[in-house]
Amino acid sequence: MKSLLVSLGTTVLLVLAPFLVGGYETNVLMIILFFVILAVGLDLVSGYCGQFSFATGSFYGLGAYTAAIMSRDLGTSIWIHLPAGALVAGLFGLLLGMPALRLKGHFLAIVTIAFQTIVYLVISQWTSFTGGQVGLTLSNPGPVRLFGMTLFELGSLRSYYWLTLAMTVICLTVAWRLVHSRLGREWIAIRDDETLAAAVGINTTRGKLTAFIASAALAGVAGVITAHALRGVTPNDFMIWTSATVVAMVVIGGRGTFIGPIIGAVLLATLPELLGRFAEYKLLIYGMLLVIAVTLFPDGLAGLWQARRVTR
Amino acid sequence: MDLFLQYFANGIVTGSTYVLVAVGLTLIFGILGVVNFAHGEFYMIGGYAGVFSVSVLHLPILPAIGLVLAAAAVVGLVAEVILYRPMKNRDATSSIISSFGLAVVFQNAALAVMGSQPQRLDLDVSRIPVLSHLPTEFGPVFLPQQRTLLPVAMVLLIALLYLVLRYTWTGLSLRAMAQNTTMARLCGVRVERVAVVTFMVGAALAGIAGMLMSSIFFVYPIVGNMIALKAFTVVILGGMGNVAGAAVAGLLLGVTESLTSAYISNAARDIVGFVFVILVLLFRPQGLFGRSVDRS
Repeated sequence: MKSLLVSLGTTVLLVLAPFLVGGYETNVLMIILFFVILAVGLDLVSGYCGQFSFATGSFYGLGAYTAAIMSRDLGTSIWIHLPAGALVAGLFGLLLGMPALRLKGHFLAIVTIAFQTIVYLVISQWTSFTGGQVGLTLSNPGPVRLFGMTLFELGSLRSYYWLTLAMTVICLTVAWRLVHSRLGREWIAIRDDETLAAAVGINTTRGKLTAFIASAALAGVAGVITAHALRGVTPNDFMIWTSATVVAMVVIGGRGTFIGPIIGAVLLATLPELLGRFAEYKLLIYGMLLVIAVTLFPDGLAGLWQARRVTR
Repeated sequence: MDLFLQYFANGIVTGSTYVLVAVGLTLIFGILGVVNFAHGEFYMIGGYAGVFSVSVLHLPILPAIGLVLAAAAVVGLVAEVILYRPMKNRDATSSIISSFGLAVVFQNAALAVMGSQPQRLDLDVSRIPVLSHLPTEFGPVFLPQQRTLLPVAMVLLIALLYLVLRYTWTGLSLRAMAQNTTMARLCGVRVERVAVVTFMVGAALAGIAGMLMSSIFFVYPIVGNMIALKAFTVVILGGMGNVAGAAVAGLLLGVTESLTSAYISNAARDIVGFVFVILVLLFRPQGLFGRSVDRS
C-alpha cells in the first residue's frame, strides 16, 4: 500500500515535471526514463531468472532501428512502431534465448556479448539497409490521429516526455505483474536451483525463453521511443557500452529486486549531469562503481537497504 | 593459388596473435576458474607500452620487449588483486561482472590518457640484428619482417610455456591447481602465488601480442574489445582450459577470417567467428578438441 502511494506520488510529480523545470532537465528526465525501462527489463532476465545477458544494447538498437526503418520505408507512425519494435526485439530475444537454454555462467555471458557484437556489426555495416555508421533520421511526425481525429501534435519535447513517461509506467506495470505472477516465481525458482525447479515440474525451457523475450521486448520498446524522441538512430548508441551501462545500473541498484534497477538507472543516468566537465569520464566511473559494487556489496544498494532493515 | 597462399599466410599472422592472447585467457580460466573479460586490455596496454618504449624512449627492440612484458605483468597483477582475491568464495558471475567493469575502466582510462587517435608502433626492422636478414618473400608469399616476427614469437613463447608447464615446479603446481585447487593446496602448493603467476603470465603473453600487432595494425583504446572476443572464440573452440586446443583453434580462426574476408566479404570477417562460436557452444560445448566430461 505504502509503495503504491509512493509510486503514484512519483508518477504525478513526473507528469507535472515539464511545467516545473526547463527543457534541458526534461530531456535528462526522459533519458533517465529510457534507462529505467532498460534496467528493469534486464533485471527480468538477469536478476529474476539468473541468466546473464550483456546484450541489452542490441535489443535497444533492434527496437530503434525497427522504428527508423519502418518510418523510412512504410511511413508508419509510432503507434505501429511500438508493438513492432517490441515484436522484433522479442523475436531476437527468443533467438538469443535458444542457445542460452544449454549454456550457463561464462558461456552464456560470452554468447550474449557475441550476439551484441554481431548486431552492432550488422547495423553499422549494412549501409544500404541501416544507413551504416551515419545512421538514419526520422522525419518530423504529423499529428497523432485516432480513428481519423487529430488528437494532439507529437513533436514537442514535452509530448515525447509524456509519451516516454506513459510507456515507462506501462512497462513497469507489465514487469511488476510478470515478476509477481506464477511465471515470475518460476523464474526465481530457476535462478535459485534449476535442477530443483525442473524436478518440481517447472518447465525451465519455457521459463528461460519467456524471461529472454520479456527482457528483449522491453528494451525494444525503449528503443522505439528513443528513436522517435531523438529523431534518429546511430549505431554507436547501441554498442556494448550501452549494455555495460545497463548492467552496471542493475548490479549497483540490486539484482533481483524491483526497485534496485530503478535506483541504479536514476543514479547512473543522473551522474554525468552532476559531473559537469568530468562527464566524459562517466564510463570510467561506471566501470569503477561496477567493480566496487560487485566486490563490496554484491546485492546492490537495494540489498544494503534491505539488510539494514532486517538487522534492526 | 598464389593469392590463396598469401591470404593463408596473413591468416597465420593474425592467428598467432589470437593464440598468444587466448593461451593466457585459457590458462587463467583453467587454473583459477576466472573468466577474464578484461583480457583484451592486456593486449591494448601491451600495444601502448610498445609504442611508448619505441617511439618515446627510443629503446632497441629487446629492452622494449622487456618493458612491455613488465608493464603487462604489473597490469596482470592488478587484475589478479581485483578479480581473483576478493572473489574466491563467490559464484562465477561475480568475476564476470567485475572483469567486465575492469575492462570498461582500463579502456576509458586509456581513452582519457592516450586519446582516441589510433597509434602505430614504428618498428625499424633494419636495426634489429637477426630479423633484418630474414627474407621478405617466401615463394609467392610476401611477408614483411614485422609480420614474420609474430608467428616466430608465438612459436617461441608457446614452446617456452610448454616447457615451463611440463618440466618446472612452478609448472607442476599450475597444473596441479588446474586439476583440483583444494588437493593442490593440501599438497603444499601456494595457491596465492600460483594465482599471481598465472595472471602475470597471461597478461605478458597478451601484452607481447599487442606490441607486435601494433607494428602492423594500430593500437587504440577499444582495440581490446574485438581481440578479447576473438580470444574467447578461440578458447571456446579449443575447449576451455585447453592450451594446445587454443593454439590450434587460434590459427584456425585467423586463417578462416582471412579467407572469409578474401573470398566472401570483408564485412563478414568479424562475424564469422562469432557465428562459429555460437554453433560450437550449441553442438559441441566441450570445444572442437575436448572430450565431454559430465559433472553434477
